[in-house]
Amino acid sequence: MTSRERRVWRQSAATVRSQREYGAGFRWLEIDVPADVTPPVAGQFVQLLLPPPSPVLLPRPMSIAGVRRRGARRTLEFLYAPVGAGTRALAALEPGAPVLLTGPLGRGYPLEEPGTPVLVAGGRGVAPLLMAADALASRRRAPVFLFGARDRSLLVGLADARTRLAACGGTLRVATDDGSRGHAGSVVGLLDALAPKLGPRIVIHACGPHGMLGALARWAIAHDVRAHLAMESVMACGTGVCRGCPLPRSAEARQRALAEGAAAAALRGNPEWAMCCTDGPVFEARDLDWDRVA
Amino acid sequence: MSGPAVRRPIAPARVDLAVRIGALDLRNPVLTASGTFGYGDEYAHVVDLRAIGGVVTKTVTVHPRPGNPPPRVAETAAGMLNSIGLENVGLERFRSEKLPRLRELAATVIASVGGETPEELETLLGALGGEDGVGAFELNFSCPNVAAGGARYWAEPARLESTLKRLRKLTSRPIVAKLSPDVTDIRETARACEAGGADALTCVNTFVGMAVDLERMTSRLGRATGGVSGPAVKPLALARCHEAAHAVRIPVVGSGGIASGRDALEFVAAGATAVQVGTATFSEPGAAARIVTEMRAWLAAHGIADVNDLRGAFTAPAAQGGSEVRP
Repeated sequence: MTSRERRVWRQSAATVRSQREYGAGFRWLEIDVPADVTPPVAGQFVQLLLPPPSPVLLPRPMSIAGVRRRGARRTLEFLYAPVGAGTRALAALEPGAPVLLTGPLGRGYPLEEPGTPVLVAGGRGVAPLLMAADALASRRRAPVFLFGARDRSLLVGLADARTRLAACGGTLRVATDDGSRGHAGSVVGLLDALAPKLGPRIVIHACGPHGMLGALARWAIAHDVRAHLAMESVMACGTGVCRGCPLPRSAEARQRALAEGAAAAALRGNPEWAMCCTDGPVFEARDLDWDRVA
Repeated sequence: MSGPAVRRPIAPARVDLAVRIGALDLRNPVLTASGTFGYGDEYAHVVDLRAIGGVVTKTVTVHPRPGNPPPRVAETAAGMLNSIGLENVGLERFRSEKLPRLRELAATVIASVGGETPEELETLLGALGGEDGVGAFELNFSCPNVAAGGARYWAEPARLESTLKRLRKLTSRPIVAKLSPDVTDIRETARACEAGGADALTCVNTFVGMAVDLERMTSRLGRATGGVSGPAVKPLALARCHEAAHAVRIPVVGSGGIASGRDALEFVAAGATAVQVGTATFSEPGAAARIVTEMRAWLAAHGIADVNDLRGAFTAPAAQGGSEVRP
C-alpha cells in the first residue's frame, strides 16, 4: 500500500466543536476526534453519521477541508452546504453534539509528486484544496491556486485560501463564469492561459463539479500533464464493501493494467468500474472515461 | 417459554448463544448478510470477527460481473435501494484470490453463490463444494437486480426443488437457500427448498422497490428498480420469516432491517435460528458485533440461559383473525 492508501480507518465517537456560516449558504464545521484517529491526507473523506433521532439512515461522505492538533485531540474541518435532509440536520447540531465519524477513507492527493503543484478548485470543491494548500505549505512548497466559480458570491473560502497561500508564498488566481471577478470564463480557460508561465513541469490537484473536472482532465491529457481529480458519488458504506459508488474506468486504465501484467490487482477485480470510495475519490485524469462520467 | 413468565436475571456470560444450521455450528446467531461485508477481511481491523457468528461473503458467479451502471444506491425513508447487480470477480479468481484469504479469517465463512441457471450453480458447487475454508453455502435465489437468473426466475418452486436435488450431490456442506420476499406465498418456495434438500433458508433478500427522480423524470438508480433494505423492511421481513419458519422443519435465518439486539430477538422469537445483519453495517461497521452483545444482555436480563429456548416462542394472538400461519 502506498502513502495514499492506508487501511487505517476506524469509526470513532466524535463531537461537534463548532460550526458557523461561511457565506453563500455554506457552513464551516469543526469536529473533535480522538487522537488515535489516523491523520488524514488531503483529498480523503469521512463518513459522518448523525446521532439519533436522525432523519437519515446512512452516513454522509464529507471531504476533509483541514486538520488541526489540539493537545490530546484532533479537529477535522469541513465545508458543506445544507441541501438535503442529512446536511440540514447536520447544520442544526450544536457544539458538543455527538456524531460517529468513520475515516479517514479513500485515497487522497499524491502531493509528493514532483512538479509545481497547481490546485484547481471549482465552487465548494475548494474544501480538500484548502487542506492541500496547508500540507504543501508545511512542506515549504508554493502552489499555484486557481479558484473558479459561476460568480464571485460563490467563491466560498477565498479568504481562507489566500491566508494559506500567503503562508507558503503561493499565488492565487480567480475565474468566474460571469466575469464578476478575475478571469472571465472557466477555471480551465484560466489554466490554459497561465500554463505557459507556470514552468516546465506542473502537476494538478483539483476538485469541483464533474463537468469542470472532465474539462480539466481533457486539458491535462492533451497537454501531457498529470492531474489528480477528487470525484463525488452517492455512497452507502464508503469502505468498498457495498460496491455502490461506481465510476467508469477508461480503456487506457484497463490496457495499462493488462500491460503491467497485474490487471487483477490494479483494477481490483473490476475492469469496467472503479469505486469512488476506495479506488478514489482522487483519480488521475487518465484512469476514468470522462465521456461516461455522470 | 409461553406467556410473560418472569425469570430471574442471570449473568450475561452465562448465556449460551451457540446455534446450529444443519451441520454447521455457529458460536452465536449473528451473521453478516451477503454483499454488506465484502469477504470479511475488509472489516477485520475494526470488527472482532470472533465475536460474530459468521460471515456470508459477496455472491460469486461463474463469470466475473462488472455490476450495474450508476447510481447504484439511493436512500429512501428509513431504508435504502440498491442496484449493485452482483458485481464480483467470478469463480476463477474467487478460488485463487478470495478463498485463501477466507481460510485465514477468524470467522465461520458461508460462501454465497449465484447462478442464472441450475447448470451454473452446479458448476459453482462442483468447483467449491469440497474446498477448505467454506463452512456452508448460501444459494442466492433472490437477487432483484439482474436481468437473468434473479429473484423472479428462482421464484418457481419446481425449479428450486429440482435444482437443489442436483446441487445436494455436489457438497457435503450445509446448503442455505436465500429466498425472495416478492412471491405470492413464501411457504411454497420454502417447502420446495426443503424438499430439494436444503439444510436451511435465509428469509429474506431485499424487496423490489423504486424511487423516481421527479426533476429528471427517471429512476434514482441506474435501473428502474432496485432492492429495498434497512429498518423500513423489518416488519415485512419478519412476517415472511415467521411464515416460512412455520412451514418447514429446517432452520430459518432471519434477515431484513435488523439493527439491534431486540430486532434480532424478534426474528428468533418468530422462529429464526440465526439472523443476518446487512444495511446496518453500512452506518456502523461494528453493528453485527454490537447486536450479539445486545442479544446476550437481553437474554441475561430475562433469565434465558440458551438462545435456542427463545426460538419460536412468539405465539400469535388466539382471537379470530389473528395469525394466518398454519404449520
